[in-house]
Order: sequence, then C-alpha cells, then structure tokens
Amino acid sequence: MWWRWGLFLWMAVVTVAAFLYAPLAKKLYEQTRIIYWHIPVAWVTLVAFLVAGWQSWRYLATRDLAADARAAVAMELGLLFCGLATVSGAIFSKGMWGSYWNWDPRQTSIFFLLLVYAAALTLRAAVEEPARRARLSAVYGLFAAAVTPLLLFVVPRLFFTLHPDPIVNSAGKLEMHPRMFQVFLASLAGFTGIFFWVYALDVRLRLHQLAREGAWTGSGKDRAA
Amino acid sequence: MKIVAEGLGVRLSGRVVFADVAFTWSGPGLVTVTGRNGAGKTTLLKVIAALLRPGRGALRWELNGVGALTPAEARRRLGFAGPELGLWEELSALENLAFGARARGLAWSDADGTAWLDRLGLGDRGGERLATYSSGMKQRVKLAFAMLGEPALVLLDEPGSNLDDDGRVAVATLVHEVAQRALVVVATNDPAEAAWGTNGVAL
Amino acid sequence: MTPGSAAGGSGGGGGSLLGTAWAVFAKDVTTELRSRYAVAATATFALAALAVVSFAVGPFGGRAELLAAFLWTVILFAAAAGLAQAFVREAERRTWLTLRLVAAPGAILLGKWGVNLAVLASIEVLVVPAFLVMFGVEFRSLPAFLAILVLANLGLSASLTLVSALLAQARAHGALVSALAFPLVVPVLMAAIVGTRRAFTEPGAWPPEWRVLAAYAGVVVGIGVLLAEHVLDD
Repeated sequence: MWWRWGLFLWMAVVTVAAFLYAPLAKKLYEQTRIIYWHIPVAWVTLVAFLVAGWQSWRYLATRDLAADARAAVAMELGLLFCGLATVSGAIFSKGMWGSYWNWDPRQTSIFFLLLVYAAALTLRAAVEEPARRARLSAVYGLFAAAVTPLLLFVVPRLFFTLHPDPIVNSAGKLEMHPRMFQVFLASLAGFTGIFFWVYALDVRLRLHQLAREGAWTGSGKDRAA
Repeated sequence: MKIVAEGLGVRLSGRVVFADVAFTWSGPGLVTVTGRNGAGKTTLLKVIAALLRPGRGALRWELNGVGALTPAEARRRLGFAGPELGLWEELSALENLAFGARARGLAWSDADGTAWLDRLGLGDRGGERLATYSSGMKQRVKLAFAMLGEPALVLLDEPGSNLDDDGRVAVATLVHEVAQRALVVVATNDPAEAAWGTNGVAL
Repeated sequence: MTPGSAAGGSGGGGGSLLGTAWAVFAKDVTTELRSRYAVAATATFALAALAVVSFAVGPFGGRAELLAAFLWTVILFAAAAGLAQAFVREAERRTWLTLRLVAAPGAILLGKWGVNLAVLASIEVLVVPAFLVMFGVEFRSLPAFLAILVLANLGLSASLTLVSALLAQARAHGALVSALAFPLVVPVLMAAIVGTRRAFTEPGAWPPEWRVLAAYAGVVVGIGVLLAEHVLDD
C-alpha cells in the first residue's frame, strides 16, 4: 500500500520538476517538457514488449496458462502505452514541425509497432480454445519480437528523419543538461513503476480467473513423460 | 506398442470433453473405444495419436524393444483413419498413398499402391482423382493410408462409416489381420464393430 | 501383411526433414497445377490492381519513387491474398490432421515455404513485365533489381508462410492474414522499395538494402526453425 502512495508522490514531484526544475533544451523550446512524458512512455512500450516476449517464451517452454495470462496483460498494456507514445509524439511533432503527422520514419515505426500489438490481440480474439490461443499468440509474439528490432532500428535509417537523436546518440555522447537528465531518469523510473504496478494488478485478476476455471493446464507439459 | 494413460482429461473451449480416463493397452491386439456421440471418442484418439495435448494427466507410448517414445516419434509410428482426417481430393488414390509413404520416408512404388487398392476393391480406379470417388471409396483409401508402412499402432475412428456390406467385410478382415501384429484401437458406435475386440474404454 | 510389407519395415517411419519437405512441396505443386487456385486468383488480382493503379496514376506515372512503391504494394497485396492458401486450404479441406500425422512440423513449414516461393515467383513473372510495359519504366540496373526481388521474396514468403500457418488454426483465417502479416513485413517492403528505386535510377551499383532483406529473411527463417514444433503442434 505505502509504495503506491510513494509512486503517486514520485510522479507528482517529477511532474512539477519537469516544469520548474529542469531547464529547456536549446532547439526544442517549450516542447522540451514532452521528453519527460514521451520517452518514458515509449520506453515502457518496449518493456511491455520484452515482458510479452519473455512470457510467450515461457508459455511455450512450460505450457503453463499463467505465463500466457502474463503475456496477454503485457500485450494489452503495451498497446495502451504505444498509443500514448504515438499521441505524445504527434503533439511534439505539431509543436516542432507544424503538423501532427508527417510520416517521419520514427512515427512510421511506432505506428507499425502499434499495429503489431493490435494484431497480436486480434489473433487472440480469433481463437477460442485457451491452449491453442496461448500457443498461437506466443508464437506470433516471439515472431514479432524478433522482427521489431529491424522495424525500430533499421527501417528509420533507410530514410531521412526529423526526429531528434536518441538520448545516447551515435557518437555515444550524452547531450543533455544534468538537471534535465535527473528529471528524465526519475520519470523513466516512475513510469516503469506504474507499468509494473498495473501489470501485477491485472495479472492477479487473470490468475484468479484461471484458478476459478480449475486446475487445467490447457495442455499438459508432461505429455511426453 | 503399449499405451498407458493416467488421469487423462481434455477440455476444449471451456467444456470438459472427458476427465480422468485411465487405461493400459498392449499390442498386438484390438481394443475398442465406445461412447455416445459427443462423448469424446475422436478427441481421445487425437490425444493417442499425439495430435492433441491432454489438459490433464499423461499418456505414454512404449514400443517393444525400443522403449518410451516421444510424441513426435509416436506420431511417426502410427496410422489414423477417421472422418476428421481427410485426403487430398485433387490427387488420385495412388498419389495420396504415395505422398503418405514418401512423407514418412518409406520406400514406395506404384506396385505397392496397386496391391493395396486391389485388396480394398479399388484396383482399376486407383489413378482417378479422389474427387470423383464415392464416400465409401474414399473411406477405403483412408484405411489403406492409415496402414501404410505397417505402423505398430493403428487408430480407426468409425471405420465402417460409408461402407457397403462388401466394404465392411473387407475392412473387418483387414483389421483382424493387422491386429495380429499391431495394436488396433477402434472407436465406434456400431455394435458389430464394438464386438471386434475387448472394450478398452467406455466414455 | 502383404501390401504393407512392400512399403518399408515395421513402423520405421520418419523421413528426413528435406525428404519430407520435398514430398509436401511436390504434393502441393501437383494440387496447385490441377486446381490453379492460388496462382490464378493471385495473378488475376495483381494484374487487376496494376491496371487500376496505372489507370489512376495516368500520365504522372514517371517518378521512380512512386513507381517502386506501386510495384511493391501490388506484390505485397497479391502475396497476402495468395500465399495464405497453402495452409488455409489444408484446414478447409480437413487434410490438416492427416498432414500433421505424416509430416514433422519443420518439414511442413519448409515445404509450404517452398510452395509459396514458387507461387510468388510465378506471380512476379507476370506482374513485373506487365508493370514495366504499363508504366514505361526501364531499369538502370537489372541485376540489382533481380537481387532485391529474390531477397525480398525469401523474406516475404517466409513471413507469410509463418503467419498463415498460425491463422489456419484460428477461426477467421482469411481476413486476418493482412492484419497480422503487414506490420511485420514492413522492413521488407521499405527496403525493397528503396532498393528498387535505386535500380530504376542508379546504374551499376548494388543497392545496400540487400543487407536488410537478407537479415530479415534470416531472422524469420531462424524463428521458423526455432518454433516449428509450436507453430503446428496442438
């Protein structure tokens, strides 16, 4: 209980600090503030994706429907945060370049990531049998996890981009004011905390539902025993 | 082939098809699986064929002289004919059999296929596409397909369906012959077929 | 037992991966040649799409950037429509379980991938020349284009094979193929478009995009090998 209040306080402080403590970046003007929102949210999108991939892998290895429930929760939260990253990115784009959407390669990448998440959840909706749904979803999740690095890191380089350099740019140098960096890191930690809090809550709910349906594994891992 | 099932259960789309099925069957010989429609006979055969994982319990396949088999190994050593296992309509009976044999890495010549079809009374039509066959003729080809390569385990789901009297006699003879060297599992509602062997499981 | 004894010894089933994959491939080619289902439907679709695009674009059709994008969009849609058939048809004709019984999952995937490559290639044999004629384009570097085409085909067909293998086991297979596959084949599409654009405009040089295409195909095939059992094994 106490840590939820802690999280609330933490995020409140981060929000205030983003406006009052951290200086503005040179060429970004007031749009600087969105860094503390947009990048952590995009980061959580990636974390959710990794969790979904890891739990998918665990499902295939153990055929334990609990792992599938965790993967599903991570996918749903990933979709939510991916949507937030897309929207916050569009707002930044409007402020900086004058239009919400200009098919910048970074925007394109995050948009397609959004589609990948949506597709994974659509696939889940199209299969009724729990064990089969879990298996197909896990395979698609891992397939997507293997391909998205290409989507996120290679495709943008094929095109010219307006997007500011990633935090640590290609020269490996950190180009951020120390105070900005402090707030940014604090925000990153806060959003990650929020993600895992909601994740744990939702997983608990799903596991309750699974337990209520009985001790069926959906597909026995010991079939070959 | 010996099959041991312990506490076997399958749930499909939230509905429990069967729970806690246990048996030990040793081949060669013939056992039957009986039960009303919807009792899960086909589902049980799919589990035995390693085409469906049970949600509960475990199933073991043991081959005399080889020992325990993995599901993939078991799948390669068994034949299965049933309404849910169709053959390729664009191919002729001979081509279907040839595909089944080649996919499993068995030596194959058209003479083998012709011998099979003669035996099931289809000799002269083996080269025609399955699409032109009656359902009874297709059923005969399916049975031949299931027995390719002398599998140690043969699963037959409603083997007499769509067959005329001649066909039933031919199949009964064939099944009893195969049961001399392999474990044959027959799922059926037909009292005559149910009398072919000992009742392995009533669902 | 007489007839069976001719076909191998007792229970000694289990062909090699390549042998079984080849059997699956040969079976599918035979059925496809007899029904012409996948190729006919897909090629007609692709040609119709090309004609519509060509007509819609009309006299402005000269820009290489646009043309490369048109070509690959048409190929992508045609592939999504046609390549899913390899698995969907097995499910619809109830031959799915039979196939799984006689062939190992890896061999099924490999055989189907081969079939899909063949279908894709035969579509392109029609579509690419038609495209060149309709839009009056010429390649500055034909070898570069062919390299891009071959590598893109490998990745595209591998991806669609994997996705349609999953979807054949779901309820609403047909409609979902594009939804599931498109976001994942974006790297292929983008690299192929940029590479093709170069082949239209830059003589000689090998488009560096071949690396992206090769890496993509490698990743997808690797995933297919790694997860083959899970793709098909209920």
